[in-house]
Amino acid sequence: MALPRITVPVSIDLRRRRGADLKGQLFQTLLWLSLGLAVAMVSAVLWSVGADGWDVVRERLWSFLRSPSSATPDNAGVAQGIRGSIILAGIVGATFPLGIGAAVYLEELADDSRLTRLIQVTVRNLAGVPSIVYGLLGLAVFVKSMGGLTGGSSIISAGLTLGVLVFPVVVITASEAIRAVPQSIRDASYGLGATQWETIRHQVIPAALPGILTGVVLSIARALGEAAPLLVIGAAPFYSTGFNDFLEQLQGAFTALPMNVASFARLPADTWAGHAAAASLVLLVIIFAINLVAIVIRSRITKKLGR
Amino acid sequence: MTSTEATVANTLPEASNLSPSDPVPELTSRALGVALEMAIFVTLALVVYLVEYFVSGPVAAFGPSNFWIAFVVLAAWNGWTFAASHTVHGGALGHTIATVAGAPASSLTIAIRQLARFAVLYAIPFLALDANVVLALLIAALVGLYLWFAPDHRAPWDLLAGTRVTTGFPTATKIVLAEVHTAADLSLDTKRLADERRARRLLLGSGLFSVLASGLIVWAIFSEAAEFVLAEEFSWSVLTGIGWFPRRGVFDLSTLFVGTLWITGIAMMVAGPVGLGVAIYLSEYASPRVRRYLKPLVETLASIPSVVVGLFAISFISPNVLQPIFGDLGIFSLLAAGLGVGVLTVPIVASISEDAMRAVPQELREASYGLGSRKVTTALRVVFPAALSGISAAFIVGISRAIGETMVVFIAAGGSGGAIFETDPTQPGQAITAAMASLGAGTDSVAGSGIAFQSLYFLGALLFLITLVMNVVSDRIVRRFRQVY
Repeated sequence: MALPRITVPVSIDLRRRRGADLKGQLFQTLLWLSLGLAVAMVSAVLWSVGADGWDVVRERLWSFLRSPSSATPDNAGVAQGIRGSIILAGIVGATFPLGIGAAVYLEELADDSRLTRLIQVTVRNLAGVPSIVYGLLGLAVFVKSMGGLTGGSSIISAGLTLGVLVFPVVVITASEAIRAVPQSIRDASYGLGATQWETIRHQVIPAALPGILTGVVLSIARALGEAAPLLVIGAAPFYSTGFNDFLEQLQGAFTALPMNVASFARLPADTWAGHAAAASLVLLVIIFAINLVAIVIRSRITKKLGR
Repeated sequence: MTSTEATVANTLPEASNLSPSDPVPELTSRALGVALEMAIFVTLALVVYLVEYFVSGPVAAFGPSNFWIAFVVLAAWNGWTFAASHTVHGGALGHTIATVAGAPASSLTIAIRQLARFAVLYAIPFLALDANVVLALLIAALVGLYLWFAPDHRAPWDLLAGTRVTTGFPTATKIVLAEVHTAADLSLDTKRLADERRARRLLLGSGLFSVLASGLIVWAIFSEAAEFVLAEEFSWSVLTGIGWFPRRGVFDLSTLFVGTLWITGIAMMVAGPVGLGVAIYLSEYASPRVRRYLKPLVETLASIPSVVVGLFAISFISPNVLQPIFGDLGIFSLLAAGLGVGVLTVPIVASISEDAMRAVPQELREASYGLGSRKVTTALRVVFPAALSGISAAFIVGISRAIGETMVVFIAAGGSGGAIFETDPTQPGQAITAAMASLGAGTDSVAGSGIAFQSLYFLGALLFLITLVMNVVSDRIVRRFRQVY
């Protein structure tokens, strides 16, 4: 019996001559181009900041890091900015338990009710709100309404505002870390007689710790780079601390590194040429160092847990 | 709890919590419960206001000092209800109100006790925040919302018997918890169980913080924006002048919109192709070794702060990229700012698109190769459409980020001090976000008062609404077009 004749439609690609893959080559070239552009962008930013700031750094790095603001270019430095940023990082760090607690609640304790969905939608929306709107929130709530407690336009207000700003990010990253913990760990803990909170505290959170810590550290890096909320809350471009003690200083004028960069950038370029770039260099070094810490934490603890 | 206080219902969690003898339909009783509790909350707030009024006079009746008075009053109230319900059967006040409202005394006391606790939680910010009517209503609405959603509370003694207490006022004692009941709950170790309950309540408070933060943003911005619109010097014609000059009382919104549109458009023209190209390359073409070096590079770009990119825009982009092309360009222009924002948006578009494309199952690609396709055909005809919902989400998130970007525009667009209506991107201009920054930093007005400063909140309200809408739209698009495998 003769076999029936079967015609199979062949994809148009097979009919093309080998070596004439024009469209493919063109597309690949386009991809290389966009990749090159992205690499060029990163390099250009880093190189431009480095080149412009190199003079200042080369001549007076140590005094630049230790001098407060000044009217003369040769004396001005970012010491106040560095100090302000460190205090801000501390205050933001103090707000992290709130975000981690919210993540624990959403992942472990919340049922599938309307309230839970409302909280999740709210967190997602908050994550997309521009940072300057958080600045407005800080201005209205922390500076104006709570002015008696926080001292008005002070670093406490700025720190609390940045804390609210990073709260959704912390919740989202901590949620993902907690979700990644296998259910078997929880079940084993319940089987051994632990309550839910004991399981969370002694099993789930330690297991999710690499992810949570990474999110926390990256959030600090993000908060350190924000300048828009600081502008709105009233970070002073230049100020002197006078003779106030530490607590009064916390409630008084303040500044931070991003604010230093922004105010240097707006000064005339002929005399203040490299200052903005040098301040940017300091800021970038700090942020990249924090990112490196996050990466190290992630790989260290992951290795230790054998995962 | 004696038998008169506890009505034992059946043990299934989904069962109705009405006992057979309860004559009030559930919806009405819930509404009554919520209304009663909110009335008590408002009464407590009024008590505090009156105390302050008599102590310091009408001017100081709202203010931060109310914080401490509120704390003392509410702590006393909380303590009294605790003591009353534990020692005396329902407490005198509870009995009275219960008789009036016709509900079991014990449930009402539990209701009052819970309400007092919630009032402490909400009244403190309420009174510390220079209370006004809008805020009072907002917080009352928040409390009501919370109370509406909460399911039943389980007391530890119920777990021993495996039963559930119905309270008659179901909303009053509900706490939103999917409680896991373990063997430990059957032990009589009250300390462990008390720790457990305390931890649960703390965590619930953290969870509610996000709702509180949202509510605060909405209140802070919209109440001041309302003041701007309702001010005497304001008329709707002020919003359509020749430009944005807050010091002169000219608030032309179209100037800002045009500026924002130009900047966003230029940014997406840069970030869209570059980000998408990087994403397609990383997910389809790159070997694992290349990926290992390229991904950190993209993440590096993502972690550069926006001030640095703003500086980059005026110190590098304007002199070296734009001025060779457009000879008569100044240092500040919408183009420079747009390109800067584009640099910032590239990593966002790239990472979200790449995640979307990597989520496409490998079987689809293998099927395509099996049919004889080249890589480009697979990438463009199979993977890209399959990941389309995620890629659209990436673009919308990128656009939303570009709209909300402040520092680059503040430094590089040159609109501080006022901007005239401008459609030419090679000229300086102003965008919504940078206008807000200028107002807030005081470069455009005397900070702190006046209609010029209030316009800051008006813009903030606009911006918040725009980004909220984009967020919701992107969620809808992802859900509608997501392909499930």
